[in-house]
Amino acid sequence: MKYPLIKIIAFGLIITALLSFVNPPKAKTNGTMVLKFNNLFNNQAVEFGKEYTNAHGEKLTLKTLNYFISNIKLTLKGGGEYVVPQDSCYFLVKQSDIGTQQIVLHNLPAAKYTAISFMVGIDSTRNTTDISRRTGTLDVGSTAKVMYWSWNSGYIFFKMEGQSPVIPDSAGNNFYYHIGGFGGFQSKTINNIRTKSISFNESVSNKNKIPVINIDVDVAALFNYKTPILLAKDPDVMWGELSVKISENYISTFNLGSIDYATATNSDK
Amino acid sequence: MKINKTTIAFVAIIAAISVGFTGINKPKPIEIKIPSNFPDPVYDLKINPVTEEGFELGRKLFYETMLSRDSSVSCGSCHQQQAAFIQAGHNFSHGVGNKHGRRNSLPVFNALFNRTFFWDGGVHNLDMVPINPIENKLEMDEHIDEILLRLNNAALYRQLFKNAFSVDTISTKEFLQALSQFLAAMISADSRYDKYIRHEGVQLTPEELAGLQLFKMKCSSCHATDLFTDGSYRNNGITNDFRFDKGRAEITLNQNDKGKFKVPSLRNVEYTAPYMHTGSLETLEQVLEHYNSGIKESETLDSIFRNKDGVPRIALTPDEQKNIILFLKSLSDTAFINDKRFSEYK
Ligand code: HEC
Ligand code: HEC
Repeated sequence: MKYPLIKIIAFGLIITALLSFVNPPKAKTNGTMVLKFNNLFNNQAVEFGKEYTNAHGEKLTLKTLNYFISNIKLTLKGGGEYVVPQDSCYFLVKQSDIGTQQIVLHNLPAAKYTAISFMVGIDSTRNTTDISRRTGTLDVGSTAKVMYWSWNSGYIFFKMEGQSPVIPDSAGNNFYYHIGGFGGFQSKTINNIRTKSISFNESVSNKNKIPVINIDVDVAALFNYKTPILLAKDPDVMWGELSVKISENYISTFNLGSIDYATATNSDK
Repeated sequence: MKINKTTIAFVAIIAAISVGFTGINKPKPIEIKIPSNFPDPVYDLKINPVTEEGFELGRKLFYETMLSRDSSVSCGSCHQQQAAFIQAGHNFSHGVGNKHGRRNSLPVFNALFNRTFFWDGGVHNLDMVPINPIENKLEMDEHIDEILLRLNNAALYRQLFKNAFSVDTISTKEFLQALSQFLAAMISADSRYDKYIRHEGVQLTPEELAGLQLFKMKCSSCHATDLFTDGSYRNNGITNDFRFDKGRAEITLNQNDKGKFKVPSLRNVEYTAPYMHTGSLETLEQVLEHYNSGIKESETLDSIFRNKDGVPRIALTPDEQKNIILFLKSLSDTAFINDKRFSEYK
């Protein structure tokens, strides 16, 4: 052998060092931001079993309220946007699990932000991919268990269930809104992927502090935003054209609430 | 280069580390040979490479009744090897509690070449296929999390999953990947027809060759390529009553897809009676007579069957029908349906 091993290793180290000069480390990415989803019905915090009245005078109680939030993007002040890495950007918000109502975004650039956008639902790629890319929140045998259709393979994006006296006893007074549909694989099908963009109306900095963006989700609008949905007439909406009207209604309910700040902890120095 | 003690120690450490990384019990890869007359596979074997351990585990799971609610049914109950992996003698498959499904079973071989699965194409990735029968109330009526609990409680399964996937806890991913490895390895491509077309020393009879010529003219626009399906959805006139089953339209909600079903492969068709999604035809003779005289008119009927005289059909004389059937039987892969690697018991 011509070169001693030690020299080869040393040469390698020098090259690595040089390369790191050519590619200086990017801007600091130790920023954090919290998104807090507040489920409401007519401006009151949602409680399962509590009686509400929708815009059509129909009384109802809720027992399930889940939705997927994914593909989050943040607009940087002065232009440009930060896309939260997709692999760590699928969240299932459940009314029954308070921990899921706060999404903590770590490792963001420490910067000023002016707006956010996110999907309510799951993009078509993850709806058709193999199982290795469906872990964590997307695990159909665990977290996403009740949010997946196996016969018409795809995630349920938004699920709201409950009871109403306007629905016959024979149906257990139950209503079911299971909304999904990513647009189809070979042929076009229902597409209920909805993206919401929300402006902060101010510049929000996460330098040395943690902004908490409150997003109010007043699900009463599901019954009456663009299209009136009557419990008495349509208590079951799953895989059907009406689901598109419902997703149009509910996407309008994701709105900016207050913006608060939490103090950065040591781990976010 | 002078070999001193430091170098020896250094090399020894590197060697020890690499052995540690590769692991002594690394699963042994199985090479999946794609037949030269087949199109490219759709399933990505690079993401889930088939190994001996994974395949064996998949086989065990395929024949595992623990996958159903009352431990009465396994995948193998409805997909029987002797019937080329369909349920012999049933037009609608039998699931837990002896309930009947509403569609005839489909064979499971050559699945890694399928773009979509099931008669209506409702599933798009092989990994996701098992969830459908498992969760279907009329089939296995169980849930994945419940199955994972059972598997994780079984020391034998935990060991087998560890050997195949190096995991201590079994999750959805490994469970479905093991089944996919078994399904992906099930390639049927050694019929007499295959050996003829690949010039492997087999000659078809003059009748079979005549049948092949007719098939190319009359059937291969749908039953295309050497998979004998183009993967599309068509209405071949088996019924015009779609109240019970709308087929592809149940997925697309498009009225033009009403009564369209996935074109099935015709490999091993000799063994897969009864035929069609309805399971309403018992023999290949009846199938050919269906195309000749039994096609039912409906709006979505494939235009290929339309004729100037207004009667939808593929006209076939009795001799032609006979020759086509002889050709179809040359697609039987007896080695495959007797291959012990895919059997419940070896
Ligand atoms: C109760 C009977 C039954 C059981 C149990 C069952 N299947 Fe099936 N399988 C069917 C029927 C019926 C079809 C066709 C149904 C349809 O397309 O709607 C089918 C279709 C399939 C297909 C699709 C083939 C294609 O080309 O589209 C695959 C793959 C499959 N099954 C694998 C499995 C696996 C794996 C299991 C075990 C987890 C299983 N099946 C359990 C009855 C069953
Ligand atoms: C327009 C496309 C088309 C043409 C042409 C066509 N088929 Fe089919 N074939 C289908 C479809 C679709 C099915 C399944 C129909 C169903 O179950 O609803 C099918 C089913 C079959 C089956 C039953 C397979 C099983 O496992 O159940 C056989 C056998 C068959 N065809 C043979 C033929 C032959 C032989 C010809 C030529 C004479 C032919 N087909 C022409 C589309 C076609």
